[in-house]
Amino acid sequence: MTIRTYIIRRILVIIPVFLLISLIIFMMIHLAPGDPTRVLIGTRGKVPQEYFEKRIKDLGLDQPIFVQYFLWLSSLLRGDLGVSFVRGGGATPVIQLIGERVPYTLELMVFAEIISVIVAVVLGVIAAVKHYSIIDALASLGALIGYSTPNFWLAIMLVLFFSVQLRLLPAGGTQSLGVTFSSPLQYIGDHLRHLILPVSVLVLVWTAYLLRMTRSSMLEVLGQDYITTARAKGLKERAVIYKHALRNALLPIITYEGYSVGYLFAGAAVIEYIFDWQGLGNFMVTYSVIRDYPSIMGLAMIIAIMVLLANLIADIAYAIADPRIRYD
Amino acid sequence: MTTLNGGSNTELDDKPEVYKLSRATRLFTVWRKLKRSKMAVTGFGIVVFMVLLALFAPIIAPYGQKEYMASYRPPTMEHLFGTDGRGRDMFSMIVYGSRISLYVGAAAVAIELLIGISFGMTSGYFGGKIDEIMMRMTDVIMTLPELMLLILAVALFQVTSVHIIVLIMGVIGWPFMARVVRSEFLSLRERTFVEAAKSMGASSWRIIVHHILPNALSTIIVLATMEIPWYIFYEASLTFLGFGDRASPSWGVLLEGGQYPLLGGYWWVITFPGLALFFISLGFNLFGDGLRDALDVKQIER
Repeated sequence: MTIRTYIIRRILVIIPVFLLISLIIFMMIHLAPGDPTRVLIGTRGKVPQEYFEKRIKDLGLDQPIFVQYFLWLSSLLRGDLGVSFVRGGGATPVIQLIGERVPYTLELMVFAEIISVIVAVVLGVIAAVKHYSIIDALASLGALIGYSTPNFWLAIMLVLFFSVQLRLLPAGGTQSLGVTFSSPLQYIGDHLRHLILPVSVLVLVWTAYLLRMTRSSMLEVLGQDYITTARAKGLKERAVIYKHALRNALLPIITYEGYSVGYLFAGAAVIEYIFDWQGLGNFMVTYSVIRDYPSIMGLAMIIAIMVLLANLIADIAYAIADPRIRYD
Repeated sequence: MTTLNGGSNTELDDKPEVYKLSRATRLFTVWRKLKRSKMAVTGFGIVVFMVLLALFAPIIAPYGQKEYMASYRPPTMEHLFGTDGRGRDMFSMIVYGSRISLYVGAAAVAIELLIGISFGMTSGYFGGKIDEIMMRMTDVIMTLPELMLLILAVALFQVTSVHIIVLIMGVIGWPFMARVVRSEFLSLRERTFVEAAKSMGASSWRIIVHHILPNALSTIIVLATMEIPWYIFYEASLTFLGFGDRASPSWGVLLEGGQYPLLGGYWWVITFPGLALFFISLGFNLFGDGLRDALDVKQIER
């Protein structure tokens, strides 16, 4: 099988998975207590009567449930996620509500991801190369403490320390309120200051997992025969570690990263909520609390698509990086 | 088939003493390795301590769950961990809260084991089309992040009971276990002892339960131990976000109650429930790591 057929086959697999997810989310909303008509159109805020009637027609809510599902799915595929009445001033398309939040979540996750990958890989490699040393012991202990710490508790403790006690960093939000910025640079500086605490929480927890993985993956690779061969050939230790060992040790990490996007997002949601960061995770929590169904449904589908794409990219990256995988 | 089994299986079961001895020896080696590992012993100690705390909560806790005293008292000898905004003794609340966390962890993992093992077993043993369809099912559930599905389900159905939350967790959380069990079965079913059992006429069920499952057990036990802190964190996150039973002494509820008073400098209201969560998770993680080394299981990451 060539890489092209592998990729095509891998994409085709997504379609039934996507359809089943959409069916599950649709059924969940339909099984939820309350009048599904109200539920689907929006139970919160003021819904004008004529819009209500028009929407029943549009969504086919007077028709059998199968028809409703296909109507919902087809409007979803056309990018219409419905509207929400939560925000004052009439209907806001859900896709717009979500779109406004995307940059914040991306910013938070990308920053945290880059920092934690760098820290974890560097420390993980050192710990594995110097197996049983003090550095290895400290790195393992640090990782253990990191993944035993509830991220939301860490977040509040950091707020307690850096915001309440030391008054160094803002406790939440994405920018200082009631401040007029004289220059864009000043705005960026202020924004970055708000980013420090939430990013730190995510970095501390994610690094712990990645570090543990890099270390054990590296240790496994270093024990392989081809490493001994490389050393026997007289290669410099540096070349053995970086060219031969690390490249192979990183393979499972690529897959892990691709497959954990969803978990990382959900974990970050609680952190976004605590820091009042205006991202998708905060959106998910707050709109779930007030049970604004169109928003929740729309977001769930967007997240599902995001995760499926990330998994796909991880699989393709893996297939390219490791030629053996294609012949599975 | 059944008549055939009757004869040959008694032979398989009543194997010479060597077999039983080797199993006992194996258990003994595991126990010795566990005892030697400082990490495993510490972890086990923490877990046992927490279980005792939960079991004897009414004896250990100096105050009841509904005893209201002066609010926001800092930690003193009288109130080891201070009092919260409603004037409840934090130490007592945390002791009672350990019951919820342990219950959640154990019950959710039990459900996960039940669904995950039977699903993974079927899929891995039979393979082929059945396997393909079953694995696509796990794909579907695993696509949506657990915590997100949990928040959606709890919010949508307005769940407050901790039992229902546990049920949802188990129902959402099994696919990873199923996959691990499946891959164990896929490799184990090719082994010669399975072939031997087959040639003696053992039924599929018998081979699965008596020959493959015992060999897959180490991996299952390690994974289950490592999953417990996840479920404990999920429950705490949910109650921290304001879902679930607000009147319970769940550590998440206590933490949520401490979030606002934090600005007034009442640090103890959030510090201690969080430390409790940290320690219970540390206990299971240490013990799980030790078990993995003792049982010689490959690292599993989710």
